[in-house]
Amino acid sequence: MGKNVLLIDDSSTMRKIIGRSLRQAGIEFDNIFEAGDGIEALALLENEKVDIILSDINMPNMDGISFLREKANRPAIKNIPVLMISTETGEDIIGEAKSLGAVGSIKKPFTPDKVNEVLGPLL
Amino acid sequence: MALLDVVDELVLGTKDVFSTMLMMDLEAAESSDRPEDIIANVSGMIGLGGDLRGMLSVHCPAEAAKEITGALVGMEVTELDDDVKDAIGEIANMVAGNIKISFDRAGIAVELAIPSSIIGKSFRICGFSGATRCLVKFSTPACVFWVELLYVLNK
Repeated sequence: MGKNVLLIDDSSTMRKIIGRSLRQAGIEFDNIFEAGDGIEALALLENEKVDIILSDINMPNMDGISFLREKANRPAIKNIPVLMISTETGEDIIGEAKSLGAVGSIKKPFTPDKVNEVLGPLL
Repeated sequence: MALLDVVDELVLGTKDVFSTMLMMDLEAAESSDRPEDIIANVSGMIGLGGDLRGMLSVHCPAEAAKEITGALVGMEVTELDDDVKDAIGEIANMVAGNIKISFDRAGIAVELAIPSSIIGKSFRICGFSGATRCLVKFSTPACVFWVELLYVLNK
């Protein structure tokens, strides 16, 4: 049985780019699910099996930090690893994300090689 | 941080985004303080807060917006649609992320808002009084576009 990934980003363009970068990096998933913010992501996670989540931080409605906090309170999904992909690089906000369970971060802009380097060991 | 340094960082930050995400080398850049020179049908903007108040904008004529979006998503783009708005907003977001790092290195903490974009035939984006303006014109082989940073340091 293959793996599924969830991409959370308010930019549909960025979701396409991340999906393309995964393919260019040679990382194959059975399903690539997409959500525009944390609220959409939580709703999707109620119905779909997801193995890893790649999430932006700055988003409307529910940002990446709030999503991590909410996810940590839901036993059914709290152990799904989350990798942050964001323009945010500050130690404070990345540190907060990691304290809430994020397993790593990738700075935008990024290359497929960078995605492979960070995501590969997690799969 | 001196004005010239900010322009340099704006150039470096923009070139980094284009070379990394679009595989596109920006060949030339010239700075200007004349916003009336801008020709734009699509502008992506993002607000800056923290130790300064500001806005970073990417201004594109129609052909430039389509070329940049096409390079970003990897397919031909023929219309100025929501995908173009989204793509130019995301370019502004990533350039602002690089500028945030530059300011952070200078001890100026910057927070980023969420980007937005507008499409139109005739519009002007106004800054706030007393703002420092850094405006850089970039050229690709097929088009030109502008990146503009307006900011006021908080006291």
